[in-house]
Amino acid sequence: MVDPLVDVEGVFRAESGRALATIARLVGDLDLAEDAVQEAFATALSHWPTSGVPDNPGAWITTTARNKALDVIRRESTRPKRELRSVRESLDDTPPILHPVADDQLRVMFTCCHPALTEESRVALTLRLVCGLQVHEIARLLLHGEEAVAKRIGRAKAKIRQAHIPLRVPPPELLAERTPGVLECIYLTFTEGYAATAGEQLIRHQLCDDAVRLARLVAALEPVDPAAEALLALLLLQDSRRVTRLDDHGEVVLLADQDRSRWDHDLIAEGMTWLDRAGRHPTINAGAAAYLLQAAIAAAHARAASWEATDWPTIVANYDQLAELTASPVVQVNRAVAVSFADGPGAALPLLDALVADDRVADSHTLHAVRADVLHRLGRIDDARHAYLAALATATNEPTRQVFRRKLARLGGTVRPT
Amino acid sequence: MRYLVLLYDNEAAAPEYGTPEWDADLAGYAAFDELAGDAVVGGEALHGSATARTVRHDGTSVRVTDGPFAETTEVLGGFYVLEAPTLDDVIELARRIPVVTQGAIEIRPLAQWIDPPTDSPAPEGTTRYLATMHGPETAADTPNSAEWDAAIDAHQAFGEIAGDAIVGGGAVHPTSTATTIRMRDGELIVTDGPFCEATQIVGGFYLLRSTDDSVMELASAIPVNDGGAVEVRPVLELD
Repeated sequence: MVDPLVDVEGVFRAESGRALATIARLVGDLDLAEDAVQEAFATALSHWPTSGVPDNPGAWITTTARNKALDVIRRESTRPKRELRSVRESLDDTPPILHPVADDQLRVMFTCCHPALTEESRVALTLRLVCGLQVHEIARLLLHGEEAVAKRIGRAKAKIRQAHIPLRVPPPELLAERTPGVLECIYLTFTEGYAATAGEQLIRHQLCDDAVRLARLVAALEPVDPAAEALLALLLLQDSRRVTRLDDHGEVVLLADQDRSRWDHDLIAEGMTWLDRAGRHPTINAGAAAYLLQAAIAAAHARAASWEATDWPTIVANYDQLAELTASPVVQVNRAVAVSFADGPGAALPLLDALVADDRVADSHTLHAVRADVLHRLGRIDDARHAYLAALATATNEPTRQVFRRKLARLGGTVRPT
Repeated sequence: MRYLVLLYDNEAAAPEYGTPEWDADLAGYAAFDELAGDAVVGGEALHGSATARTVRHDGTSVRVTDGPFAETTEVLGGFYVLEAPTLDDVIELARRIPVVTQGAIEIRPLAQWIDPPTDSPAPEGTTRYLATMHGPETAADTPNSAEWDAAIDAHQAFGEIAGDAIVGGGAVHPTSTATTIRMRDGELIVTDGPFCEATQIVGGFYLLRSTDDSVMELASAIPVNDGGAVEVRPVLELD
């Protein structure tokens, strides 16, 4: 029998973001909505073990939370009578079984990603309120202390409340200003889900699913934002490879070794369509171009029938353009990988050696692993071994560390456990 | 919702009083006032930072010094109190204030405010001063805390001392609720936090009607946190 406790947690993860978004729309207050949803789950925790999990747990939670919010509003004597009446009417008009409404979540998303909040707060708040993650989970995802994350979220919510940051999707004339912050947050959520920075799991499926779902919502907004279309294309194309990135034992399968027949070809087709749409705008800004180029790179991989058939010169050209747009050394690392396949490992090594001296990526396990691979292909086995050890020392995600251990074992010699 | 909107600019680059550039600047503000209409609840321009004097509360002693609370390149040149339903609405207004393209505008939600008295004649020889509170932020700066309630009592006591000399003022929410905006190359830049941590206003401000000789004594009676300070600048009377 399934432990009902586990089920409540599972339902919380899957449904709390939607329930909160719906209640927030009804009461116009994030705090009240959050409290009501928490209370509804507390009720679930005490009822479900005896009554069993309802058929539609999400609707059960939303309805219960709605009633809790209504109770709070009825109890509150400080609210002006007229306001109370209008809120009560809007609540009473709502059908008892609620369905998640996409607009509700977009509204919460735009509030969480308001430019008057720091970028770190936006991501933490989105993970908490939109994706339904607990503070300790967010702390683990973002590699910060639990207390620091709780404080950051608390501070951001206080600012939303005290400075009256509105709960709304901005009007069309403001979307161009506001959407980049939302897209950045979705991108970070997906990235964190796709290659978790720490922990036992490489992929956090829930984060990937949430990010793709939110990207679809933003891409559907009018007026159309090419950056939103390009980001959706990028996420879909990346996500199409998700199931092939781990083998049956949960170990990482590198792109070169993935079973391409198991890539999700529906997602690839959809991603290509969005890429095509995003590429058709006569002018695009730098932010959109950055997503577009990354999507183009993902598309080049998706198009290749085999690793050997990959169009590396096109990928290098895309990275060249991307490097012009962003000063990110991570782009330089990825570009060096492409160069190593387009022009040979000998051409890539000087690029990577230069990056080892860059403080911003000196501790990046990706850089060390890429360099190790290039050294290996150049036949410099001892140097490759040292580079893998450096990669192992800097990686914090267990499946990734396992890849490096395997590579080291294949190179022979002594492997010091770390 | 009311917001204190603080206008910061590089004084050295600002137009000189009485020059055509000054007039053009003033016309820009007149245009903003017209556009914002009823949203403008209050606001004043200030004399330069060279006219500033500061009351410093160092534990037990109270000291008056010449000069601003902290020396910075960009200084407070004036402020507005704007009425707007949400932060988005106040940003939409504030982005049209002329200084936004060169300096910066800090937006602080007000927790309480004192409306200026209507049609009370100004005693001869008096002028108005802006007294801003600075220094370390404490629990007393968080609305509805016990410390906040205690601070309200202290401010009420000050109100009794100052009487009619208080012609305006407000209590701001903590600096963590501040938002700063700038406009550069036609692009709006919104950031979390106050414009400058060295000069940030903590607690709130008063508008005082007084004389040059007695304003500092009055300002010394404004309750501030230990280690706090009150900076006093004369208002530039434009009429």
